[in-house]
Amino acid sequence: MNLLLVLKIVGRVLLFESLTLLPPLGVALWYGEDPMPFVSTFVLVAFLGAFLASLSAPPTFFAREGFCCVGMIWVLTGILGSLPFYLSGAVPSFVDCLFESFSGFTTTGGTVLPDVEILPQGVQFWRCFSHWLGGMGVLILATAVLPSLGEQSQYLARAETPGPFVLKLVPRQPRTSKILYAIYCVMTLVVILLLWAAGLPLYDAVVHAFSIAGTGGFSSKNASFAFYGNPAVDLIVSVFTLLFSLNFGLFYLALCRRFKEIWKSEELRFFLAVVTLSTVFIAWDLDPGHHQGILESLRYAFFHVTSVISTSGFFTEDYALWPQFSQMILVLLMFCGSCSNSTGGGIKCARVLILLRTLRRELHRLAHPRAVEVIKLDGRVVEDRAVRTVLAFLGCYMLILCAAGLIISLDGHSFSISFSSALSSLSNVGPGLELVGPTGNFSALSPLSKLVMSACMVIGRLEIFPILILLSPNAWRRT
Amino acid sequence: MNIIIVGCGKVGFSLAEQLVREKHNITVMDPDEETLQRASDAMDIMTVSGSGSSAVDLRQAGADEADLMVAATSSDEVNMVCCLLSKNLGTRYTIARIRNPEYISSLADLRRNLNIDMVINPENSTAIEISRLLRFPAAANIETFCRGRVELIGFRLQEDDFLTDKPLRELDPRVKSLPLLFCAADRDGEVYIPNGNFIPRAGDQLYVAGQPAALDRFFILLGRYVSKAKKVFLVGGGKVSLYLAHILDKLGMQLKIVERDEARCRMISEKFPRAIVLCADGTDSELLESENLTSYDAFVALTDRDEDNLIISLYAMQRGIAKVITKCTRQNYAGIVRSLGLDSIVSPKFITASHILHMVRGLQNSKGSVMNSLHRIADGHAEAMDFTVGPSTRFLGVPLKDLHLKKGILLAAIVRGQEIIIPEGSTCLMENDRVVIIARGGGILDLNDIYDDEFSFSAPGSGPQ
Repeated sequence: MNLLLVLKIVGRVLLFESLTLLPPLGVALWYGEDPMPFVSTFVLVAFLGAFLASLSAPPTFFAREGFCCVGMIWVLTGILGSLPFYLSGAVPSFVDCLFESFSGFTTTGGTVLPDVEILPQGVQFWRCFSHWLGGMGVLILATAVLPSLGEQSQYLARAETPGPFVLKLVPRQPRTSKILYAIYCVMTLVVILLLWAAGLPLYDAVVHAFSIAGTGGFSSKNASFAFYGNPAVDLIVSVFTLLFSLNFGLFYLALCRRFKEIWKSEELRFFLAVVTLSTVFIAWDLDPGHHQGILESLRYAFFHVTSVISTSGFFTEDYALWPQFSQMILVLLMFCGSCSNSTGGGIKCARVLILLRTLRRELHRLAHPRAVEVIKLDGRVVEDRAVRTVLAFLGCYMLILCAAGLIISLDGHSFSISFSSALSSLSNVGPGLELVGPTGNFSALSPLSKLVMSACMVIGRLEIFPILILLSPNAWRRT
Repeated sequence: MNIIIVGCGKVGFSLAEQLVREKHNITVMDPDEETLQRASDAMDIMTVSGSGSSAVDLRQAGADEADLMVAATSSDEVNMVCCLLSKNLGTRYTIARIRNPEYISSLADLRRNLNIDMVINPENSTAIEISRLLRFPAAANIETFCRGRVELIGFRLQEDDFLTDKPLRELDPRVKSLPLLFCAADRDGEVYIPNGNFIPRAGDQLYVAGQPAALDRFFILLGRYVSKAKKVFLVGGGKVSLYLAHILDKLGMQLKIVERDEARCRMISEKFPRAIVLCADGTDSELLESENLTSYDAFVALTDRDEDNLIISLYAMQRGIAKVITKCTRQNYAGIVRSLGLDSIVSPKFITASHILHMVRGLQNSKGSVMNSLHRIADGHAEAMDFTVGPSTRFLGVPLKDLHLKKGILLAAIVRGQEIIIPEGSTCLMENDRVVIIARGGGILDLNDIYDDEFSFSAPGSGPQ
């Protein structure tokens, strides 16, 4: 591997990332808080970035280097992003800071803080802003604005965008990234305006819009959206978390007025079907005594279904108290996750579809051993190689889930706590069940479990391979 | 520009590679997913799986908004249909690869009726290039400019040449008085634009430009002059061989063609009754010997396999054939064998890519000075172009010594009316001149691109443009 060039690119991206500390710095100054945590982090990141960027390196760069770059950048971003929490003194334990930072950048939204309302506004803003940055991806942003990434940009963006297929809207990656971010920014702006119009204070609207756009889950209120108790806000949040968990390529098609092709997307139809069915079942299952009428049940069901399948993790009610059937549906939704090339996490609907079709094909083969059958998605053939990658991904996902659950269970909590913590962090959802449910937090877990969960989050966000390759000796060999 | 390349074979792939480097938006279309996967792994492009003869697929690839469509599938017919369809969808320019000799006679009609803006025929272009080398065997490669009035010749410097290890300014006065210019030197893949202090070394590939007659004189002085080949040994009976045989036959050269396939041999012998056609394995050294290889002036290896071509060429060179020309598609092989002494290597895809690049540059710069031709030299590390100076060109009438050209740019020759001028410090450009320019790297679209803007505005004597 061409380690020098990887480090050089990491440096360039870090240098660029140091700029992202300026908005929270501004907020801290506006509210008259101590700006030093942001200033010192800014200086440190910029210095480190400048040092790495000044290395001179041979120019060979391929997919392997791209994956390593992305893995390293995300790990470093998570670690450096925790510094403002630590330096501000708001979160005393460094492991907790790491957890918050990774939870922010990977748009997980799980927290270890029992009370988030006491955080300084600057730190509060940084938490949610990291959701926004991590949602579409820091590297996509970097490839959009840094021309110096040039030829390498496609490898970087490819390793960061979630989903089994590469999303390219236009031939050149920098332009693709620009279009993606333009759509992302406009939609975020719309959410801010709508939330503001629905009665949230502007600051709350901005902070929550970042969270919604990244399908993160952090809120500036302990009670998340239950604090507002406003059906209009609930509806806006539900609809937009849903939109942000769609494939961004579809929005581009809509901009080009190619509406027919949008409806052809089988992933979209599958996703909407899953959302509709889950909402209906949960609304039917919810205790009629607790909610007034089916409409209110539907409102709560829809809100939490969209919140979980988009892997955001907002709540207006403690679903850990819901009937078991409803909770089980939500757990299954955590597996499934959103569409590919969205800001959400999870396995992704496209992979689930490919899995289901592979299963169907295998069953068919049992009956007709000589049958030749290709797997198609959106009317296009999915090559066997791509199918194998999807299956390998699913296998890895399960293995990592089991391993993480095993380590977390050392803490001695119940099965559903250990398992849901692992699943929720790997799928970037945020809250789990019982003690770590929506109204709870992860502060009861040991530092080891928190570190394991942080690792799961970044593994889940980058879809496993960019992080695994960092651990593989193959990647580090020079040849 | 938005460019669609249909067919991601050898030509399509290397073309895409080249055009991506020039910052164009490339969409590659091919029916084979695996080919596309390989292409999109290697380059920043968009891929669409589909067939060039399907309007739906073409529209999917964006043919309605594309500036240029290059049809380079293996089938001439698909390429023609593809051009017709995408022109109807709204593509501005179309290029088709048409290489079946049967179409050559009706090419003009086909082009007009199918709305094809340019036809590329890699095999024919390669044959033309080879025939040029056979007519002037001293050169490792030859490019011609301004209707053949200026030639750019590349040759490898040897240990005992009088040029070796001496600065260019201390050259023999007989050479100095000749109207020619040393334009570029390729030393182990690094291109230098030489000045008077440049010291050529043995093994350098030197490029010299000038009038054909002056170049002849130069090679006579160098003791390397070889008159044109008379007896040519061809191995391989593919399309390139057919086109080449056609040209050489007209020039009255004696041909021996070795081809493995019997039906093919019969067809060749039918077309070229004067040539000796052998049905045998051309890579068999015993056969070559028994066919009196050593009595030939030139040997051309044109089989399908690069490896075979290179090995038999080395063999022929070792047997003392004066001129050995090798077809080799893979770029990385060319570098290796050059160090073994094989200089004349031709690559159809490389030649084709140059042609298309020339067209693309021309389309990009339709208003400025006209680029008449573009050749890539030194394995693509440098480009040689020929421009017509237009009214938009800046600094007309300013002596060259007062101008600041960008680094790695050289004016090699100026054709003014009947006169051919080798530029000196006092020479200046005038309208309607034709200028041959050598540029290290590439990316020169317009004559104005050669000026270094940081300096030229403060240059003495330069007025407003």
